[in-house]
Amino acid sequence: MKFLFLIYHDEKVLDDMPPKEMQSLVDSALEYDDEIRRSGHYIASNALQRARTARTIRVRGGKVTVTDGPFAETKEQLGGFFLVDARDMDEACALAARFPPGRIGVIEVRPVQELQHS
Amino acid sequence: MRYACLVYLVESEMAAMSESEAQACTEESLAYDEALRRSGQLVVAQALAPVETATTIRVRHGTLTTTDGPFAETKEQLDGFLVIEARDLNEAIQAASRIPLARRGSIEVRPIKELRPAARRIT
Repeated sequence: MKFLFLIYHDEKVLDDMPPKEMQSLVDSALEYDDEIRRSGHYIASNALQRARTARTIRVRGGKVTVTDGPFAETKEQLGGFFLVDARDMDEACALAARFPPGRIGVIEVRPVQELQHS
Repeated sequence: MRYACLVYLVESEMAAMSESEAQACTEESLAYDEALRRSGQLVVAQALAPVETATTIRVRHGTLTTTDGPFAETKEQLDGFLVIEARDLNEAIQAASRIPLARRGSIEVRPIKELRPAARRIT
């Protein structure tokens, strides 16, 4: 089964982090990334730029509206994601709990839905 | 550059659709994924199960806490995402505005941050 890990953290905490600490956090994230590639769980992953770099788009009646900023204003912001293969929700949560930057953030684990042609 | 397109929708509106309407919506989404794949712009696209299936986890001082449900309670819910390749933000916005679900919900477009130095990058 495929699961998505949505990683949320307080961007202010990250902005205030000394560069050395930030680098070791990034290194630990990349090590985790390598580890789950080796274990065969990995499908895709990406870190995102800060929420303020986002644009939100709506199309209504053929008209495109673009607004600055993310869709949702939350206390913690989406900072990245992993798409993984796991046996079940328990294995997915155990895997997500090992992601080192999760210790300063929150991870939502969500099963995917496979879209199928009729 | 790569951009994440996060698709937000009102789940209850989607759930209220007739079966044929929902299937038409799925076909339209799959067709657009395919068009992006053919043009070499698609990195990954994935629909998600409803937010009620989510589990949210926190690890503090070595202790794991899990709660049922999504992290953020929002009026519209994250329903899926695409990662696309685009020349710049404008091209990414154009591609995102053609996502069929942009007519029903909202698409957040956010640039990807490359954590690996280019020389060590794995796709």
